[in-house]
Amino acid sequence: MEPSLLDSSSTSQKRFPKLRGVRWRIDLGVLSSSLSVSIDDLRRAAADARRRYASLRRRMLMDFHLPRDVDRSPDLTMDNPLSQNPDSTWSHFFKNVELEKLIDQDLSQLHRAHGSFFQTPTCQTMLRRMLFLWCLRHPEYGYRRGKLLTCVYDINTDTVTEMHELLTPLVYVLLVDLDHLSQVQKAYESHFSNEFDEMSFSELTQVSDNRLRRSISGGMEIEKEGNQDGIAKVHSIDELDPDTKEILLLSDSYGAEGELGVLLSERFLEHDAYTMFDSLMNGARGVVAMADLFSSSPVAFEVSSSFYYLLSIVDSSLHSHLVELGVEPQYFALRWLHVLFGREFDFDDLLMIWDELFSSPNSICIDKNAKYRFKILCAPRGAFIASMAVAMLLHLRSSLLATENATFCLQRILSFPKNSDMKILLEKAKSLEILAIDSNKLLSSSQETSNKNKLAITRGYSLSLGSSSARTPPNQVPDSYWEEKWNVLHKATETMMRSNGFLDSSGMKFLGERSILSRTESHPSPADGGGRKNKHFSVRHKLLDDFSQDINSVVEHTNSIQSKFLVSNNIESSPLQVNAGNHFMEELNDDNNIRRMTSDCTAEETCLSGECSSIFSIATHCSLSKNKDNDLDKSSITSNSCICDNDQEASIMEELCCRSYNNQLVKDDEVVSAANDEPKSGQEFVSDDRKPLASKFQWFWKFSRSSAEGNLEKGGNQESERASAAENTKNGCSTPNFCSNQQFPRYISIRIVIACALILRVIETVFQQDRVQSLSLESFSNNILGGKGQTTAVSALKELRKISSLLCEM
Amino acid sequence: MVLVLAIGDLHIPHRAPDLPAKFKSMLVPGKIQHILCTGNLCIKEVHDYLKSLSPDLHITRGEYDEDVRYPENKTLSIGQFKLGLCHGHQIVPWGDLDSLAMLQRQLDIDILVTGHTHQFKAYKHEGGVIINPGSATGAYSSITYDVNPSFVLMDIDGLRVVVYVYELIDGEVKVDKIDFKKTATTQSAH
Repeated sequence: MEPSLLDSSSTSQKRFPKLRGVRWRIDLGVLSSSLSVSIDDLRRAAADARRRYASLRRRMLMDFHLPRDVDRSPDLTMDNPLSQNPDSTWSHFFKNVELEKLIDQDLSQLHRAHGSFFQTPTCQTMLRRMLFLWCLRHPEYGYRRGKLLTCVYDINTDTVTEMHELLTPLVYVLLVDLDHLSQVQKAYESHFSNEFDEMSFSELTQVSDNRLRRSISGGMEIEKEGNQDGIAKVHSIDELDPDTKEILLLSDSYGAEGELGVLLSERFLEHDAYTMFDSLMNGARGVVAMADLFSSSPVAFEVSSSFYYLLSIVDSSLHSHLVELGVEPQYFALRWLHVLFGREFDFDDLLMIWDELFSSPNSICIDKNAKYRFKILCAPRGAFIASMAVAMLLHLRSSLLATENATFCLQRILSFPKNSDMKILLEKAKSLEILAIDSNKLLSSSQETSNKNKLAITRGYSLSLGSSSARTPPNQVPDSYWEEKWNVLHKATETMMRSNGFLDSSGMKFLGERSILSRTESHPSPADGGGRKNKHFSVRHKLLDDFSQDINSVVEHTNSIQSKFLVSNNIESSPLQVNAGNHFMEELNDDNNIRRMTSDCTAEETCLSGECSSIFSIATHCSLSKNKDNDLDKSSITSNSCICDNDQEASIMEELCCRSYNNQLVKDDEVVSAANDEPKSGQEFVSDDRKPLASKFQWFWKFSRSSAEGNLEKGGNQESERASAAENTKNGCSTPNFCSNQQFPRYISIRIVIACALILRVIETVFQQDRVQSLSLESFSNNILGGKGQTTAVSALKELRKISSLLCEM
Repeated sequence: MVLVLAIGDLHIPHRAPDLPAKFKSMLVPGKIQHILCTGNLCIKEVHDYLKSLSPDLHITRGEYDEDVRYPENKTLSIGQFKLGLCHGHQIVPWGDLDSLAMLQRQLDIDILVTGHTHQFKAYKHEGGVIINPGSATGAYSSITYDVNPSFVLMDIDGLRVVVYVYELIDGEVKVDKIDFKKTATTQSAH
């Protein structure tokens, strides 16, 4: 058994590193958890717990045929077997029989055939008895009040299955401890010999004297026995290493409380397992009580919504995707919760998870008077559960985001891959735990918004796996900013929509669009972050080149109306375009998202009507993604985007952009000089191209500014046209919305087709250039579009061509 | 904790329309493991009703039964006890203890359940126990007109049997209890 994973995180070394059963008992509150508790105290606590269980057992398993007290003659009309009276002993008996039948049913399905021990009848009876007694002891979880015997469990029978799935690992770890003990015993036989049996009283005193003398003097002729294995002669108990010594003292039959206090005892296995199970279920005066989750749906609902809340903080795009699809957290959260992830992982992995879980204390860690959002997140243990769930969801992130079908999503979640890397998952969960606790605190509204921003910033922290607690600045624009922007936009468009009755479809499209586009903002897995940045970089700069050339030509053809159109689109869609730019670039190299890319390429096309700002946005995005640790850039760029609506500050923006580019170049040099193997040459190569880009960029910005000074006529028609165009291109087929204004849609569609063609050409040139590059610069060949990536990109190209042909047909 | 119901002589529909309501409410499915029916049901519907109470149903033929396929005697063993079933009109004189004891020795059983007299009786003698559950509907018999509806529930647990007698007296259900313990069985002579 390995010790707990993150020993460094715990302030003190865990006691009993090899005895998981004892450790869990301490963590669950069965035994005292203070560090200074002595072996004797542990033994006494264990003995007390066992006594309680023994008395419970005696009480509950009643025997009808025990001779009753004479004065207590039972009223036969009530106490006969057929009595309808629910209070009669017989009806209790029948209820218990039903309960036992239920438990039996589930025990027979014990699918965790971990070691044949669980299938043996002794183990089965033991489990059955424990569960039965627990259910009797806590009738509020097993019975509905007032109902007669027929329906013992109104929760479905899965409940008992789940309860015993909680119980079996507990039994298992106790057994493993016993195994370990027997091994130790074999190794150090002399100390475990039970010499007092089979001796007469006079001999006893002699023996005890001998023993005493042995331990004091340090050895006599006892080495005759038990040294066949050639183990180093151990003369006294103090010579043993501390762990073994502890084990020895724990299982000494003559220590405190005698046999009842022997911590690792097979005889009291049932008692110990029961007490562990009991404290797990009732939470041991802590926050997380498993029993609540089984019985009442409000608690379970609250817990599952806390998962989603934490997910929304950590990874809002995944969260919004799931919410959009209608994947309610309860569908999978309950299954995860009820057996504490027991069904998702293999047994040994599960034990590791439970190690971490139990080591988090269950006590409330916020102030008594502070308000909180979710009760479960008030304790570290609950926060760990939530963060584990979120970590699992993030693990499946890419496949979840890929599918648009809610059932597929659920299927994916419910069939969690069993061979996932536990270390990574657990580390992530641990890191999210603190975040969960912090985010749970409910503050006044002003504080909340500021906290929101802080949280947004910390998202970068949480997303970077393996990063220490140092809070690295985010490598993307905080979500809250985009949210605000989008809200502003959405309100404007919505009012327009409503006036034209186009709200529902287009509004939804906007929603969908926005959410899809916002997916870009969280990086799926930073494992390949470095490489990807590289790819993005080179691809992007090429794209920029070509884009700028092409769009130049297109823009020159526009008439005044078009420019107005552009302007209106410009203002609305600039943030969207930034996203679109992001999105397009990233998805180009993402193996899993061919379909999404095509759909979102079309989304981008709708925004291309404001190409001038798109250049700007792509450029800013380049700088955005280029440097992870660039706070200055972030602030400058965000301020850029903020200002983009405002005509008066356009000049400032331009300057800022230029400055950002200059900074970029400076950063390039810095980065180049840093010890970066692969990107080094690439960046050098690219930085040279940046300068001509900057000039082009300036040109475009001037253009947009001039057009912005024109009439900002947001005709309602224009809005509806654009919306319908958006819808249209998304579906890739003609829609009835086009009936209203014929001219504009056609124009837009044509432009979109052109844009499609542009993109296709751009990508092809990128490929060609990359191929060329790979010949010249070896480092690139490793990164950019390795064989697999190329094939997927090629297939993506084909898809794009199809779409463009479809659009042409319109 | 095996519950065995001993019931009989209902004479439905000839002499009685149905079981008393109070009895019917007490006899719910799921509690009783075996039913020993002495006979004279008389029709198939009663048979089906009893079958619904418990899947393990044993019936012997009474003289008015419409189904002729029921056996005259039946023996079965439940737990440590051997039980025997017979309607009782075959044993003359009707209800005579010695004759019934003779049947018991013949069948080599510990508990003999018979009927026909429509009177509840429970005898213990050195060979075993003889139980007569009476008539569950209170149907009149050729011996007597004054019949209280009654039936018997046996709780067999190891070497001990507790006999609960349910009688409907003046419209109220009265319950009585008798304990029997089986001594260690002696080897049979053969």
